Amino acid sequence: MKAQWSRSAVMMPLVVVCVYLFLYTPILVMAVFSFNSNPLGYQWQGFTTAWYGELFSSSEVWDALKNSLVVAVASASIAISMATALVLSLKRSILSRAFFAFYANLAVPEIVLAVGLLGLFFFFSISLGITTLIAVHTLLGLGYAIPLIYARFESIDRRFVEASLDLGATRGQTVRYVVFPLLMPALLASALLVFIVSFDDFILSFFCAGGSTQTLPMYIFSMLRADVAPIISALSVVLLVSSSAVILLFSSLQMRKLGGMS
Amino acid sequence: MEQLGNQWERDFCFFASLPALLWQVFFLVVPLAMTVYFGFVSEQTGALTFENYRAVFDGAHFCIIARSVITALLTGLVSLVVAYPVAYFLALRAGRWKGLLLFLAMVPFWTNFLVQIYAWFFMLERKGVINSLLGILGLPPLVTTNSIGAVFLVMVYCYLPFMLMSLYIALERFDERLLEASSDLGATPWQTFLRVTLPLSMPGIRTGLLLVLIPAFGEYAIPALLGGSHYMFVGSLISYYALVARDVGMGAAFTGISGVVLLGVALAIYSFLRLIFGKTRVEGEE
Repeated sequence: MKAQWSRSAVMMPLVVVCVYLFLYTPILVMAVFSFNSNPLGYQWQGFTTAWYGELFSSSEVWDALKNSLVVAVASASIAISMATALVLSLKRSILSRAFFAFYANLAVPEIVLAVGLLGLFFFFSISLGITTLIAVHTLLGLGYAIPLIYARFESIDRRFVEASLDLGATRGQTVRYVVFPLLMPALLASALLVFIVSFDDFILSFFCAGGSTQTLPMYIFSMLRADVAPIISALSVVLLVSSSAVILLFSSLQMRKLGGMS
Repeated sequence: MEQLGNQWERDFCFFASLPALLWQVFFLVVPLAMTVYFGFVSEQTGALTFENYRAVFDGAHFCIIARSVITALLTGLVSLVVAYPVAYFLALRAGRWKGLLLFLAMVPFWTNFLVQIYAWFFMLERKGVINSLLGILGLPPLVTTNSIGAVFLVMVYCYLPFMLMSLYIALERFDERLLEASSDLGATPWQTFLRVTLPLSMPGIRTGLLLVLIPAFGEYAIPALLGGSHYMFVGSLISYYALVARDVGMGAAFTGISGVVLLGVALAIYSFLRLIFGKTRVEGEE
């Protein structure tokens, strides 16, 4: 039995190292090649930062980034407002059942939803663009925001609310000065989550954005259809660095016992 | 809190809850219902017909659905087997490395799918890293994009972090003293794993499988970028009907049937795991 334990003590770290190598080798290779001066990809020619320069001066990239940010910020704010309003206003007996319905937004495959929505917009002759994108990403966001905010709301100690009402605060004041601050961590966490989900979403955007609006993932996809493009390597590295920064921000929020997510 | 509300407050509450509910109805329920309905509309005459649904029940369409189901199931199983030891290590054995390893597991999780797919181009292309290394060893080129193998490999790569995170969350709550208790009571490590660790991590396994299975079944970008034109998947065919052929009736019928098949598979897996989980528990109590 001793032997068994020590064998697993060696094996498991080995497996872990292999899996992390599997996860990171492609990313690191890509990062290295983003500094390759050979534009045609796979042969190393020499070091250059030209692609980063090209990336930051490409108006197409900036436009796509602007669209992605506008959609992500708008859908995160709308989804969080609607989710908060729903959680605060529904009777708890109804809410405890109603919030399950919002899991459907995550359980339906995105491509099924995307085609259905395309049919809907087509049927009502709604022209596709940034507005439809925001509407659709808000729907997706509700699926993440409502369960999260509801979970936090349920964990609030009811005695705080009762105390506030006993001490003469109106219901509105109680919501504003007691419930709202207690909900804040969950609101922040789900806003960030909805932002990221929207920013990374490809399928829904691809179907519901129409011909004239392009988000960052759509731009990447259209470039990849052609072939390896060094400007996409540079963009990928920038995105990886930014998502690492977001994770650090997120976990430092959690560290301070603010996170509502497990 | 509720009984204190006057009429005005009750009205206010009613209206405050409306936006989310209306949004849900208009952008989720209506589109899904319309998809089912459009499946019954004939493309030529506009009359109601079963023709589209009947056409989906032929061999070619079902072959594609079966390919997507099998690929999604295999992706789920392989990522489960690969992620389990890593999640176990992260949750129970990592010690001071835990923070760093967790961070490294989360970076791909939070990074755009397309970036991860793109990274594999450098590995898999004909003149890419893997084939170049094989060439140095004097071996012929082995891997290539535009193959079903490439699609499967990158599927596992992209969905592995989802599995890893669900398993980690389940295993992190695990009380390690149960392992000691089990071994003190004479169980071998293997028995402990089968009867204690595995059943207790079952919620994580279930969540992980569903988190992988559902998007993998409808995956569009990976086959489109790495699958070449030989292999159709559910995602590729749905988008073909919607964007290229513009055959609303067939597209809707195929989407509807695929959705029902996926729901069936997901429920089957869910109840299968419930069944095993239940049995293990009874055995453990004997």
